[in-house]
This record gives sequence, structure tokens and C-alpha cells, in this order.
Amino acid sequence: MKELIKKIINKLNIPEIDFADVRFTKTDNEGIFFERGSLKSVSSSIGNTAIGIRVLINGTWGFAASSKVDESVVDKLIKNAMESAKEGSRFKWDKIKYKVVSPTIISYEFKPKEDPFEMDIEEKVNFVGNIAKKLTQNPKIVHSYAAVNFYRQYKMYANTEGTFVDTLLYDTSPVMFVMAAGKNGVQTRTFPGHMPGQRGGFEVLKKYRFEENSEKIVKEAVDLLDAPTVTEKKSDIIIVGGHLALQLHESVGHATEADRIFGMEISYAGKTFIKPEMIGDFRYGSDILNIYTDSSDKRAIGYNPVDDEGIPARRVDLIKNGKLVDLQTSRFTADKLGLKPSSNMKASDASDVPLIRMTNICIEPGEGTLKDLIKDTENGYLLDFTKTWSIDDNRNNFQFTTEIGWKIENGEIKHIVKEPTYYGITSEFWRSCDRICGPEEWNFYGTFNCGKGEPGQIMHLSHGVSPARFKNISMLPKE
Amino acid sequence: MNNFVAELNELIKKYPQYKLELGYESWKTNFLRFFQSMTNYNITKEVKKLSCTIYKGKRLFSFKMVNPNINELKKKILYAEKFIDDLPEDPDFVDIENDKEITKQGEIVDNTEKINLKDKISILNELSNAVKPYNFKIYGTFITNYVQSFIINSNGVNKEYITSPIMLDVKAVSDKNQVTVIETYGSEDFVKFNLNDFKSRLLNKVKLANLPIIDMEPGKYEVILGPAAISEFIQYLLYGSSAQALDTGNSCFQDKINEKIFPENISISDSPHNDRMIRFYYDQNGHTLKKLDIIKNGIFKNFMVDNYYGNKLKLKKNGNMGTNIVFEPGDKSFDKMIKSVKNGLYISKLHYMNFINMKETTVTGLTRDGTFLIKNGEITNVVNNLRYTISLIDLLKNITAIENKNYVLPFSTNYSEFFILSSLMPSVTVSDFNITSSTKAI
Repeated sequence: MKELIKKIINKLNIPEIDFADVRFTKTDNEGIFFERGSLKSVSSSIGNTAIGIRVLINGTWGFAASSKVDESVVDKLIKNAMESAKEGSRFKWDKIKYKVVSPTIISYEFKPKEDPFEMDIEEKVNFVGNIAKKLTQNPKIVHSYAAVNFYRQYKMYANTEGTFVDTLLYDTSPVMFVMAAGKNGVQTRTFPGHMPGQRGGFEVLKKYRFEENSEKIVKEAVDLLDAPTVTEKKSDIIIVGGHLALQLHESVGHATEADRIFGMEISYAGKTFIKPEMIGDFRYGSDILNIYTDSSDKRAIGYNPVDDEGIPARRVDLIKNGKLVDLQTSRFTADKLGLKPSSNMKASDASDVPLIRMTNICIEPGEGTLKDLIKDTENGYLLDFTKTWSIDDNRNNFQFTTEIGWKIENGEIKHIVKEPTYYGITSEFWRSCDRICGPEEWNFYGTFNCGKGEPGQIMHLSHGVSPARFKNISMLPKE
Repeated sequence: MNNFVAELNELIKKYPQYKLELGYESWKTNFLRFFQSMTNYNITKEVKKLSCTIYKGKRLFSFKMVNPNINELKKKILYAEKFIDDLPEDPDFVDIENDKEITKQGEIVDNTEKINLKDKISILNELSNAVKPYNFKIYGTFITNYVQSFIINSNGVNKEYITSPIMLDVKAVSDKNQVTVIETYGSEDFVKFNLNDFKSRLLNKVKLANLPIIDMEPGKYEVILGPAAISEFIQYLLYGSSAQALDTGNSCFQDKINEKIFPENISISDSPHNDRMIRFYYDQNGHTLKKLDIIKNGIFKNFMVDNYYGNKLKLKKNGNMGTNIVFEPGDKSFDKMIKSVKNGLYISKLHYMNFINMKETTVTGLTRDGTFLIKNGEITNVVNNLRYTISLIDLLKNITAIENKNYVLPFSTNYSEFFILSSLMPSVTVSDFNITSSTKAI
């Protein structure tokens, strides 16, 4: 394959083409799904190949891709990509220009502790099946599932500047869910929550300790049936775990994607409230808030040694001491904004065009434990486990509901509440952040399911967070 | 293609100990995306893929392949043979689909070839020039797909269909303040596309978008939901009409068959063969689709039931998937509907809706691409995008008027597999629509 990619690059190294790149991917997926204790599907999709060729001609992109990967398709793909660029340039008033980037040559292979694609299917099925059975014991649980997805992707990237990269990555995403029914309706609990994806193999599944947590979520779902709801219109809230990761994802992650500033996602994913003149000046959050993107962190799902247009991985501060200082950029948008490309251009597989995508966006830890933070809270709620999320197409007005909340009074957790809902405006919300827990509480939370682009792409990415407190937040009591 | 399908039919006969379910699809797209009245990128892409599920009694294993060939498929089946007996059973599984009628459906017109990139660019240049004097630019997608699908199984199901949908989605966005309006076209036949009509509809909306912008306070309003907005609400509501939702305890229609829930003038069906729309002929198991009344004169009539849940829940299967939802028109002209609103809103489209509680049909989401104030029967202002938090059941109960025309609304399932679907929707007037906050921005 390496030889074929090199041959293609040679064919693309012609004066007519300003820049070109080629990607090859081979992707494996395996999923196991139990519902109410019964195996409903074991599915595998192994060795899915794709090749994509992207060319820049007359300042316009053309792209062609195929699931068939051999020499017979190459000339047609190059022709289609070049014709697309040339014809597309008839509808263009501003040309894309690329500043030359020094070539990078890297090979990286992640080695999982337990490779799920080398294990017997029965072993994996039995493991998930045992979790699934534990979810069915309580008669008030009317629906439950336990599932896992294993993912492996081999990728080769090469461009006409001489960059050549190949990577092999493994990710695993497990989940279990229960729904309880009673006279007051239905309530749900999920574990490990909304962002369970981790870099790794079968060991990820073991790490989460599903068996001991199964009893906990069953009890919580049943207890939620008769739990009170939030009554306050304003409250302090502590947000933890995967739900804080989602809050960060929606209201900082997507908002700081530079392609949204130029309207490149207006047709589907939307815009951003951020304007170019706000960079370096806009108060996004409180003084204690530091948020960065880091595609060079090998521990997390978003690690990518070189992005899909040849920019080496790097850490970039997005929010420093509460101020917006940089964005997630491509080579095109970075040039337009006078920034350095942040290594965030990625495509789901080789048949997709690269877009600005989150890699690992993290909140720097502060100080203290969650226990300390609860103790320090006079009146409020602790929230986790996302139920509903929604944000406007400027990434400004959000509303989230979690499956469960815990009422805090005088520094102690008193009782659970069902479906707590809070809402706000992005910068007002982050400015109200007055405490962030320390490194001992800091973890990565990952997802396989971040949708963006047309045709749609699903990206694996992660967020590092520790619990944080937000003051005087608007709550939506249930009518 | 057909040789491979013939090979698949032969292969099935060689495994009488199993029941095999095979779906083979050849899919290609010419996908033009544009922003700021210029090309973002044009994609040409071809994918051939096979899905296979092997059933042995109540045990099953599924896999997918790209660029499949018979030898690789045999190897996969051999691989499954090693462990399928050791997998747990699915006690609810009865049998695979048995609709044996051999049929081929769909027009053999390849719109990816028929409408070339040059034509698309010419159309976009014309639309861009039309909105330019108003200081607007166009953003959106111009997509042509071609899909040939085969569904074959051991029970003798043998189905083929071809579809080649077209979708043009144009948002005109103001350079001054990002006020956005949208116009769309979707069909299988580009002869039906009238550029002058499309341009005229877009320009009418652009003119409204130049009205002064105001903000609205939270509260309950009388609103007119445009076809795209009501379409999205209906899609969410109809999650509850799937047999799967019924089985998982999430259906708002549980125990409500033949119950009158909504006003008498509300009739909603899934009409996969409606030739104004992008048609669907079979479900994913090969069951032949027919028109299905879901709500008739306000009465909930039928769940959408596939083979698996039909067997499990002892419901009559229909295979309907909500691919072609039709909301029957009412008796009011759009102008009369606007004129009858004293102080309300017109909402063009929705954004980022999600269930708070699926069974209770409570949702939250936002308006997008054109929200307007209606004052004393006239559109007077552009309104900043708003957040709503409502019950979908209540929304339909509160419909007070239905437009006397319905419109084709193309939309894409953009999340995993890229399909273009369509619905047929009128505008509707709704009372007590709950606005819970303002975004304070367009």
C-alpha cells in the first residue's frame, strides 16, 4: 500500500496542482449488544478499506474517494478530483492558499493490553452478557441494555510536501442502560455516562467495573421514579464526569472551531458566536478557567501525530485565565485569522474530506477534591449523566438535562432529584465557574459519535475534565 | 453487479443449515458543498458494501464488508461457523422476512451522471447573483446520489431497487447581520426543478429577512410553523409510533390504538410510493412497503412494525419506517393563516432538538433560518433565534389551522449512512407554544 500511495503522490506532483494529499484507511469495527439480558446482535465490519484524494487547483478543493483500493481506480479518482476542483473554481471569489509546511515522517502504533480483535468472540460475548443479566433482576426495570463497540483503524497519510504518516489506533466504547417504570412514568440511568470512549482495547471494558456499578444504576433508576424535581429557578451547580465533558464539548469545543466563523458549516452544523476580533480579548470564562486542545496527548482518543493536512500534533491554549486566545484551525482558516494551524483537521475515514474536528479538548485542573467542593457548597445540586442536550447554532444558548442530580445542603448531599434541567448563555455560564477540582479528580471522557460535515462524519474525540462548580445558574423546574 | 447478485443467490442455497439475510448496495454521490457564494468542496465517491446476518435457530451473527466478493463472503461464513453454536440465543427471534414477491422497483436514471457539476455551478451562480443586490450570500449543498440495492434471504426474498435522489439546500445569509433564510428542492426528477420559481421563493424570503431584528421574551405564543419546522416535530413524535419504541416502553402511543388524541383535521401517513417525494419500496429486510395511516382524523391508527417486532409483539408487520411522512393539507390559505395571527411568531426551521422524556414527548430545541414576528396579521420583524421546551402531544393537540397545500421537504440522515428522505408538509398554526429563552442572536 505504501508503494501505491507514493505512486499517487508522484502523479499529483504536477505544476497544475498547488497542493494534494492522499489518505488510505482500513477500519475494523465490532459491536456486541444485549437487550434485557438477551443477545440481540454481534456484528463485525472488518477490513473496510477506503482511499481519498484531495487536490487544490485554482484555489479550490476537489475530492474523490472509493472503497475499492487498487491501482485500477487511481487514475479515475485523480481525474474526478481535478475536474471537481477546476469546475468548482468557476464559483469562487476567494482562493485558498497554502503556506508551505515542512514535511513530517512518523509511524505510530498503539498496542492495547488486550487486543479485542484477537480474542475469541465467545469470551467477549460472555463478558457483556454477564453485565446484561445483572440489569434484569429488578421487576421495575422494564428495559435494559449492555453494549460495547471495539474500533481499530490503520491510516496512511501522504501529501505533496513530502509528509508521510501511518498510524494504528484502537478505541473501545462500552455502555449499560436501565429504564424503570412506575406510576409517575419512566426514568433512566446510564453508565459510564455520555462519554464512555477510551483509547484502548478490551482492558477498557474491565476498567469500568460494570458489575459493581450495575446494582447502583438499577437502584438509582428505581429511586428516581419517586424522586422530587428541582424547584429553584436559580441554583449553584457542581457538574462532574462525562456531563461536564459534554458541556465543554458543546459550548467551547464546537464554538472554537474556526470553520464556523467563515460559515463553512452553516448548511448543517451551524455557526459560532465567536468573531475574529474577539481572539485575544474576549472574556469567555472566569479567571480560573484554562482550556486547551492537545492532539499530542497519547493517552486519549484524540491523539493524532499529524493531522489530515500535514500539521504535526500540538497543544494549543484556547482559553487562558478566562480569555479567548486561540481557536481550532485548519491551514486555510489559520491563515485567514493570522494564527498558527492547530493540527485539528481530521476525517473519519479516507473516503471523507478533512474538517476542523476536536481532538482532546481539556479543562486544566484546579485544586482540591470533589468531597472538598461539596463541603464548600451551601446550597446547590451535583449533576452527572446526560439525558438531554441542545445548543443553538451559534453555540451560545444551551439547555441540558441530566438523568440524576443530588441535592446539596450545607455541604452535604441530601437526596436525589430527577431530570434536573439547567440552561444558559455560553460565556455567562463559563464566567460563573468559581472552582475546579484538582488533578486527582481529572479524567478523560471520550465519544465515538461527534457528528459534523456533509456527507456526515462521526469522529472519535475526548475531553479531560475534573468536577467544577458554577454559581447562580438558571434552572428549569418541571411543570 | 447482477453477476454478483446471482452468485449471492447461489451461495444461499449452499447453506441450508442457516438462514442468511443479505443486503448488497452500490452507492455513489456527487456532493457539492458551498459557502459565502463559492465552492467549499465537491466530492465524488463510490462505495460497494454487503451486510450479512447468519441465523442458526435463534442464534445470529452479523457482519459487513466493503467491495465484497464471494470467496471473502464464504470465508466470513466459515469464521462464523466456528462460534455461532456457542452464542446465546435471542428468545424473541422467530424467523426472517418471508415476503417472496420478486420485484424490481425504481427508475433507472442516474442523476449523478444526468446533472453534472457544470450545471450545478451555473445554477448556484444564478442564485448567488440574485441575492447579491440584497447583500446576501448563499451557503448549502447540491447533492445527487445513485443507489442500487438488493435484498436477498434464505426464505426466498429477492428485491432490487434503484433510487437517485436530488437535493438542493440553499441558505441565503445576510453579510450585515447573518439573518438567514432557506429554500430547498428535493425529488428524483430534475425536470420538475424550476429555477425561476426557486429563485423567486428565495428572494421573497430574503426581502423579509431585511426587516428590523427584535428579541422576544419567554412565554406562550401563537405560532405558525413552516413546513420544515412541523416536519421535524412530526418526525420526533413518530419515534413513538415505532414498534421498537412500544417494545422498549418509550412509546407515547402505548394502548392508544384507535383512540382519538388529536383534532379531527389531523391526518398523518407514511406514503413510501408518493411520486412527489423520494420514494422507498422495501424496508431493510425486504418487506414491500405500502401506505400506512398513522394518525387518521385525529385517531392513532397504526404502529410502524418490522419483521422482528411484528413477531415479538404479535403485531401485523408493515415494514414502514417513516421515510415518507405526509401531513394532509387543511383548508386555510397561508395568507389567511398569517392574517389571523394578532401577536405571534412564524418559525421556519428547527435546530438541535432532543427529547427530555421520550415517553412524555417533552423536547427542547431552537429555531433557525428565519424566525419572524407576526403583528396584527403581518410579518413585521426578524426575531432572534428562540428556545422552546414543549410536549409534542400537546403541540399537535394545539393545532388550530392547517394550510391548504403541502410541500416536499427533502432532508438527509446525515449521521451514519447518508440517505436523502423527504416529507410532505403544510404550514400549521399552533396555540400556546412555549418559548423558554432567547438566544439573543441570529
